[in-house]
Amino acid sequence: MASAVEIKEYPSEPLKCWDQAKNLRKNYYEDYLHAHEKGGLRWAGGAWAFSSIPAGLGEDVYCVTGEPYGATIAFFKDFASKCHEATEAAGFPRTLCAYMRNYWGSILLDKFVLTDGTVVDGYPAPDFIWQDHICCSHSKWYQLVRWLEKKKGKDVPMYSVDVSVGYPSDLAAEEQYKVDYIAGQLSDGIEWLEKVTGRKYDDRLLCDAVWNEMNATSLWAEVCALNQAVPAPLDEKTMYSLYVMGTLMKHRPECVAFYQTLRDEVKDRIKRGIAAVSTERFRVITDTQPPWGFLKIFREMEKYGAVSVGSLYTFGLIGMWQYLPDGTWVPKPVPPKKPQTREEALDAIVRWTMHKPEWAHFYQPELKTQMMESIVKQWKVNAVLLHYNRGCEGLSVHIAENRLGLMQKGIPVFPFEGNMGDERDFDLQGTMARLTVFFESTGLRKLKE
Amino acid sequence: MITAGVDVGAKYAKVVILKDGQVIARAKALVGFDLLKSATDVFETALKDAAISRNDIQRVVATGMGRNTVVQKPPINADEAVSEVVSAAAGAHFIVPTTKTVIDVGAEEGRGIKVESGKVKDFVINERCAAGAGTFIETMARALEVQVEEMGPMALKSVNTIPMNAQCCVFAESEVVSLIHSKISKEDISKAIHDAIAGRISSMVLRVGVEKDVVLIGGVALDPGFKSPLEKELKANIIVPEYPEYVSALGAAVVAANPTR
Amino acid sequence: MIDGIFQQFNEWIDSRHEYAKAWKESNKGKVAGYFCTYVPEEILCAADILPVRVLGSHEPPIVTEPYIFAMYCHFCRDCLAQGLKGKFDYLDGIIEGQSCIHLRQAFNGWRLHIPIDYAYYIYVPHGIQTRRAIPYFTKELAKFKESIEKWTGKSITNEDLDRGIQILNRNRELMKKVGEFRKTNPPKITGLEAMQMALSSQIVDKSEHNKLLEQLLRELPSRQLDRKSDIRLMIIGSEDDDRVFMKNVEDLGATFVVDEHCTGTRYYWDNVTPQEDRLAAIATRYVNRVPCPSKDWPELTRVQHAVNLAKEYNVKGALIIQNKFCDPHGIEIPPLKDALGQVGVQTYPLEFDVTVPWGQFRTRVEAFLETLTGLEGLF
Repeated sequence: MASAVEIKEYPSEPLKCWDQAKNLRKNYYEDYLHAHEKGGLRWAGGAWAFSSIPAGLGEDVYCVTGEPYGATIAFFKDFASKCHEATEAAGFPRTLCAYMRNYWGSILLDKFVLTDGTVVDGYPAPDFIWQDHICCSHSKWYQLVRWLEKKKGKDVPMYSVDVSVGYPSDLAAEEQYKVDYIAGQLSDGIEWLEKVTGRKYDDRLLCDAVWNEMNATSLWAEVCALNQAVPAPLDEKTMYSLYVMGTLMKHRPECVAFYQTLRDEVKDRIKRGIAAVSTERFRVITDTQPPWGFLKIFREMEKYGAVSVGSLYTFGLIGMWQYLPDGTWVPKPVPPKKPQTREEALDAIVRWTMHKPEWAHFYQPELKTQMMESIVKQWKVNAVLLHYNRGCEGLSVHIAENRLGLMQKGIPVFPFEGNMGDERDFDLQGTMARLTVFFESTGLRKLKE
Repeated sequence: MITAGVDVGAKYAKVVILKDGQVIARAKALVGFDLLKSATDVFETALKDAAISRNDIQRVVATGMGRNTVVQKPPINADEAVSEVVSAAAGAHFIVPTTKTVIDVGAEEGRGIKVESGKVKDFVINERCAAGAGTFIETMARALEVQVEEMGPMALKSVNTIPMNAQCCVFAESEVVSLIHSKISKEDISKAIHDAIAGRISSMVLRVGVEKDVVLIGGVALDPGFKSPLEKELKANIIVPEYPEYVSALGAAVVAANPTR
Repeated sequence: MIDGIFQQFNEWIDSRHEYAKAWKESNKGKVAGYFCTYVPEEILCAADILPVRVLGSHEPPIVTEPYIFAMYCHFCRDCLAQGLKGKFDYLDGIIEGQSCIHLRQAFNGWRLHIPIDYAYYIYVPHGIQTRRAIPYFTKELAKFKESIEKWTGKSITNEDLDRGIQILNRNRELMKKVGEFRKTNPPKITGLEAMQMALSSQIVDKSEHNKLLEQLLRELPSRQLDRKSDIRLMIIGSEDDDRVFMKNVEDLGATFVVDEHCTGTRYYWDNVTPQEDRLAAIATRYVNRVPCPSKDWPELTRVQHAVNLAKEYNVKGALIIQNKFCDPHGIEIPPLKDALGQVGVQTYPLEFDVTVPWGQFRTRVEAFLETLTGLEGLF
């Protein structure tokens, strides 16, 4: 007989706030594109950049961070392909970070892609670059943006913050010098921002932005924590469209408002037993960015009743978490008091950011393995799908050690190679064939279609 | 009970017929464009060798890259399809009950499988790279202008180690040409090729870990020049069963005989 | 006599493990392996520890597959492979000075899977162009020094640090002086010989290395190299210790007169300027030295340095060695080509891996040399 089986289904319905999410993101890209028309400023930098700092320059300061933009390009494979060609023709090796190559390609082609795939002429060059250096490529990425813009006759000033102080989980008193190192650079950066923009810096706006960022990232963690429910109210593919707000605008009040709305809706879904995937019977988590051009892999998995309920990447790239004394991994609450001065704001945001879960594995793979193990336990996960992502050195670093660590704990792991941003490096058919074998080996069969 | 396993691979289709735990027929042939026809021809050859008809067979299980082409398709009418990972594990365990690690190297894929009592515990398959599969040796044989069957014996005659930059099948061919122009002997080049493929396979197998007994199966296991460098890299004795290229088909027949698996 | 000196350098490289074991036996001291040139050897020398740079073997690093994803560079995997194979079983400690992401995997793989007495990761800042880096790094070095003292059970005094600084400074000065003899036309040492000199300094006791360098400097003025051609080449890249490649290229009728890579001049280009606060002096040297591209931002100072070297050494062409998968160096290839092109230095990039396919590379290098000599004008 055929290998399909019948299964009971949970009720399911789309998210009510879905359109709100789409519009938020669309408007953000368009605000960046049209910033100059309204006399505003635009800056370029990474999703990890301390975006609350440039917010002190005014309410009309916009950015589209590099990683989400690189992912947007990757999603539209035809445009991505042109970006790769342009970058390689310019002499860059194809093994470099895929987001970065996509981004440079956009500059070289002098085109900008919007969230619906519309490609407009003219890459909107930033007024300044504000970045931080987490992986080997992060500041270099924008150093080359600057170099490429200079070849077009535009000199874009650049400032980047070094955060490579390790992962001081407790930030004990003797490590205050590490906080001071970063906060000092931010403080120097504020002076630099005033100089290059000619604007007076507003510490009140800084404090608001820092407070928004802390709230947004704490709220996102709350949303992710709710996915421990069975059935999961959200699936990871959907979550990508929701966490992206945190990568673009975590310092903005509308991001905080959206995540509050989302959290409340997810709570309601749990109350009513609404599932993201009606046929949920096998829960997985993934790791690293997905192959953005092939998100249908999640829909393929659903044919087996397998749903990805998240990942450390989706939970911890933006979300802030902590361990309780009993070992439970929970959303990190915001500090009791909002910062009131520049010094307080800088100290607070440095301490907050250095505790980002996705920072841990840059230094100690064991820390990430421990967090993934917690997710497996608390989110009731059956297996882990590890994306050995050729497109990102930073998030794939130590991934082989994580695999070993998880397997030593008896957790089934399926590793697969791919690339988040370069469609040439991901074989959907081959990966699904291997994933089928993996599912089979756990006893899972394809559902009746 | 009579069962059959049909392995529709990238290059060959293989069939094994099992009767009460004994192999009563084996057959294989190259696959053409029409996988169903190729598999059917081989199946019918096996039936003839066993002097039985399809109706005598209680269950047929298919495996291999083209396995779904024969499920519920006459005349084979396979009852079920299982992946080559599952069938390789079952087949290796059937022949060597103490199997813990299976290395399966076919025409286009290499696989490392961790096994416990015939069941798959973990596995790894080469990712988009044919430098760890049979096609690699065939391509190199062409470059050396020898028959594929001569590659293994030639390698065994060499005592020199020449590292090859075997990241890619195509580049490796170009490298072989360079070695020929440097007047390196064919024996030494063949050994270099075997060392390179053993290196690629070992690297992959180490991901799942090596635990004895280690069983090597698949078409490339027939190459006598492959086992020795593989044993050296993995620091383990390797068992190559008789008819290694049939082990997956045998495993499928074993799965057919145990429908509760 | 000079040939004998380079032969000694070569033997030290080829028998590095035997050397280290013998040193350990006769000095009764500790040996610490390190990966990156950002490890402050001055502090290790001050503690009477022999620092040895872990390098690869140029054999496919098969054993590292379970520990490091193969998309990370061959060098980091090859280094870890040496450890996993037991080649460095005499090491007492393993230390990394923070630089690239790839090598920290070699460090952590070593720490997690290879028995070792002492493992330390120094958070060398990446923000070397910020004024905050030196004070920060000075504090990091204080922590490192304290850790070494705890490990060895011995305090490190200012006098010890002065001694360490002096040995390292002297070694660098001497190698730079040898480098001056490459400016002559024809140069007095080959690129291969320069590599032998630089590599061996990263492996042996520098007091011994200094003695040989002093002898070399006495003999170099009278040396005449019998070289057929005068194509002056530069080699630029990340980690490069491929002596076979150097010889193969130089056998084609070109000479590498200077390099900019991390096993070559970048290792020894800058000295410590003494100051009262010894740790601040060392921190200053490592922050201000010719940087690894992973730290060189927002300005491209290393590219400018390469251009300066090319001009100073009157280079005709440059081979850019890109270790496959190395992002920081790969990113800088277009600006490097551009900047060198502007001063009339043509470039050719070659992608390196753990082994180098000389057959294919020969064609490319020969073609490049032909363009430098103007042969293409015949067609």
